[in-house]
Amino acid sequence: MLGPLRHEKRLWRPEPSFRLLSKLWQINWLYVLLICALAGVGYLALYSAGGGSSKPFAAPQATRFGFGLVLMIGTALLSPRLLMRLSGPIYIVAMALLVLVLRMGHVGKGAERWINLAGLQFQPSEFAKIALVLLLASWFSRLGHRRMGNPLWLIPAAVAVLLPVGLVLKEPNLGTASIIGVIGAILFFAAGMRWWQIVILVAPVPFLGKFVYAHLHDYQKARIDTFLHPDHDPLGAGYNIIQSKIALGSGGMWGEGYLHGTQGQLNFLPEKQTDFIFTMIGEEWGYVGAISVIGLLGLLVLGGMLIALRSRNQFGRLLGLGIAMDFFLYCAVNLSMVMGAIPVGGVPLPLISYGGSAMLTMMFGFGLLLSAYVHRNERLGPHDQPTVE
Amino acid sequence: MRDDHNDFGRDDRNASGTARGNSAIVSRLAGAVFGRLTGRNRAPKGQRASLDQMHARLLGVGAGFIALFSAIALKLSFATVWMPMEPEKRQIAPQVPTIPKSDPKGEASNDLVLPQVHRATITDRNGQALAISLPVAQVYANPQELIDPKDAAEKLRSVLPQLNEEDTIRRLSEKRQFVYLARDISPVQEISINNLGIPGIYFEPGERRHYPLGTTAAQIMGSVDIDDHGIAGVERYFDKRLNTDRTPLRLSLDVRIQAVVHDELANAMQTFQAIGACAIVMDVRTGEIVAMVSLPDFDANDFAHAPNDSRFNRAVTGMYEPGSTFKLQTAAMALQLGVAHVWDRFSSIPIHIGRFTISDMKTDHFPPWISLPYVMAHSSNPAAAHIALDVGAERQREWLHSMGFLDRVPVELPEASRPLVPSARNWGISTVMTVGFGHGVAEPPLSIVRGTAATVNGGILVRPTLLARDDANTADTTDQNGPLAPRPVLYDPAHDNVGPDSNANADASADVTPQGPRVLSEQTSNTLRKILRLVVTQGIGKNAESPGYFVGGKTGTAEKVGPHGGYLKHVNIGAFTGVFPMNDPHYAVYVMLDSPHPTAQTHGWTTASWNAAPTVSKIISRIGPMLNMFPDTANAAKIDAELAIPMDPGVPSGYRALGPGNDPGDPRNAPHAPTRREVAYRTHEHDVTRTVSSDD
Repeated sequence: MLGPLRHEKRLWRPEPSFRLLSKLWQINWLYVLLICALAGVGYLALYSAGGGSSKPFAAPQATRFGFGLVLMIGTALLSPRLLMRLSGPIYIVAMALLVLVLRMGHVGKGAERWINLAGLQFQPSEFAKIALVLLLASWFSRLGHRRMGNPLWLIPAAVAVLLPVGLVLKEPNLGTASIIGVIGAILFFAAGMRWWQIVILVAPVPFLGKFVYAHLHDYQKARIDTFLHPDHDPLGAGYNIIQSKIALGSGGMWGEGYLHGTQGQLNFLPEKQTDFIFTMIGEEWGYVGAISVIGLLGLLVLGGMLIALRSRNQFGRLLGLGIAMDFFLYCAVNLSMVMGAIPVGGVPLPLISYGGSAMLTMMFGFGLLLSAYVHRNERLGPHDQPTVE
Repeated sequence: MRDDHNDFGRDDRNASGTARGNSAIVSRLAGAVFGRLTGRNRAPKGQRASLDQMHARLLGVGAGFIALFSAIALKLSFATVWMPMEPEKRQIAPQVPTIPKSDPKGEASNDLVLPQVHRATITDRNGQALAISLPVAQVYANPQELIDPKDAAEKLRSVLPQLNEEDTIRRLSEKRQFVYLARDISPVQEISINNLGIPGIYFEPGERRHYPLGTTAAQIMGSVDIDDHGIAGVERYFDKRLNTDRTPLRLSLDVRIQAVVHDELANAMQTFQAIGACAIVMDVRTGEIVAMVSLPDFDANDFAHAPNDSRFNRAVTGMYEPGSTFKLQTAAMALQLGVAHVWDRFSSIPIHIGRFTISDMKTDHFPPWISLPYVMAHSSNPAAAHIALDVGAERQREWLHSMGFLDRVPVELPEASRPLVPSARNWGISTVMTVGFGHGVAEPPLSIVRGTAATVNGGILVRPTLLARDDANTADTTDQNGPLAPRPVLYDPAHDNVGPDSNANADASADVTPQGPRVLSEQTSNTLRKILRLVVTQGIGKNAESPGYFVGGKTGTAEKVGPHGGYLKHVNIGAFTGVFPMNDPHYAVYVMLDSPHPTAQTHGWTTASWNAAPTVSKIISRIGPMLNMFPDTANAAKIDAELAIPMDPGVPSGYRALGPGNDPGDPRNAPHAPTRREVAYRTHEHDVTRTVSSDD
């Protein structure tokens, strides 16, 4: 898949003036193409969600993607050393925004999740995920494998994970808080956390879960109950799930045809342009179309993982993994949600669902991923392997 | 993939090849377990171990991702292909309305049995829809299912602009399972709302009554209430039938005739500045009412806002003194009973009785003794009173009873009311005289038409009906009025030999035999036809003539009773009852104008011969061809000769005609003011066929 890049050989070291151009050349354009393909799918889906019109969803989303593309390429050219240095301030800004959203956030559907940033509706929890990945990758890279064995070195990183988890829970947004927690945990694991540490940490989770459930909001409990028994309340909280399942079911193998999905076009499907866009894809394009979209999403995750594996420095590896994981968790949670496999939560399908801040943060994340690829051979941390020459 | 797998470990491979890969796993495990114990003196090895561990863990995470994605893909195939979830019927059913079939070519325009509606269509005799139920829907919502009441209200308003936005949002936000949003929306609106796709919005199918011809026959049609039950007119009369049998109900009305009559009547009403008017066209042989118009009228689609005056059907509910029209009945009873003959003469000198004087208009200048045809043709009140006196109270009342003038007129309208007639106890001499020329009783116009029909159709009292004849047997006639009760018939075949022209019109109604009780002989009927024709050819009904249609008829002008009792001079009810063609009577055309004003054309007159009679003429000229009857001017002379009756017939030998010196019914012959009993006795004195047992 990333075949052409195998032939890449450092035959010449470019002059500084050519550095930028060389870096552009180093970008994994196949991966960029995949991203564009997914955004194209998103455009088509939003065109249908708009009732066969580029307004009001598809056209603005395409514009945002254009901005996102520039942001991604720009980020990809940033040197990892700079990123490591910036990771701390970026993290602090992200936390500040999370606090800000609690203070003066815009209430949407029973939760404060949004803030207005220069007229742009912005969801800081999404940015916080990227910031956390950046900070953890930087921290673990500096730490080195050896010091991972010492719990004392892990405590600051654990705090860095728990702080956004706590703040997002307070919004309250259980879904995103869980995703942040999972990202943090897997980065700990991938960074070389010892097994005994893992056992000690995981053991109390069931008890913690019970405690958390006891302190959940009613609507969050209702979601879990609804998930367990969606048919008990087919017209209330279970409405979305049932409508979504009906829409998917009516799609069948080949779908009802583009712009011809009954449930979606007739608005029986709630929030079809955001959380439930995949349902509409399933209804109109059928199993074949939906599985193709899942395949495309899977390719992007896999590509991210391979970029992580190819990196010679710990920072790049962890950064690549973190971004791929962020993307993967978005997809997995959203897809499971619309198919009724997990309780409903406001998690969009990245690059396809309508929404500006999710799109831009995701593109920023992909930019970091591409930066890890471009600078995969650099030696950054004290314990990274020397460049083979 | 495998290439990449090898690729990422390129530096290792360069150093140690594949063999190193296996040992790397072992060292990674060692590093994982003993990493901390092995200490820093194994730094290079630990470094490599950490790298291996990294890769392994990354691969592990990647494998987890792949597994999860596969699970999602599996779930997707379950959800879409293997076990798709069907929409619930409950969810789909009310949201797909039954829509009338698309009909771009108008092929269904004659399809009056719409599948979605329950109440039967009402048509005229030619199948033209007069009342039809169209499918509509009531919109309701279950606010519990709504996602965004504000958004839903906005969308609904795009289709139903009459909705109040605030009110709708408030209703949609209520904690209830059911709120009505709009009633009686059209199928088009229903589809538009359905296409908005708002969850929680439902439709309840219903139907709404439409009267496509608007004001045409509005009072006859009546209306239905919100629950589709008839509240007036035939809608009420046939309510049960319309709601149980979906085959169209075919009325006897002909909308073409109805429209012409409406048109002419409205013209006349405007020309003469009348405050009201009514007209009836009835088949005299079958009783089928072909047209019945009452003005002012209203749009049947808006019954609720129609003023009472417009809802009022003057043809069956209106009670008017028949005036001179009733002289036809007086002549009929006198001829039928043998009390008078066409050659008998009657005094036209004004009669003073009590405070009243019975006289003709001073301009009439009648001879003092006039024959029966003359009485009819020029409409003399005192002479008609004398004829009535000759018949007597008992037989007059019995005759009127047999002709249906004392009962509610039997027609399929709940509005048909009882006439205003004096009780038998009060039927004194003055009543006899005034009724003789049509005053002192008030009858609905339809009764007059019915009575006239009996005198010209060969002597059969038909039952007026609004049902087309073919339908008459199948229709539900078990109404509050019941079928027409048999009447006591005064007709006696023994007297059929009276009159000179016994068999003239034996085949007059060969095609349609009138059904009903016989109330007078064919001979009498023939005589009366000639007399009615005489009224138009030589009498005061000349304005009713329509060339080639051989119109016969009788005018009737009654002064209106004022608010304080007593007659109002110059405020009249002018009516003309026409029949055509008189050689074979088919249709009676009745026109009545309430309080007409004089115009230049009427030379200041407000009597019926100047306003109602010409209106009848215009109507006959226009509706004749529609009724498949064409003016027969070629044979006019021959037919008129057959219909002729001399204004002053000679007395056949062997008879002593009534006249000067032979006037037994004249109350002035009495030595004193006669008591009721005496008048009754004296009135019957010369009656050889007297069968009356007693008065009072």
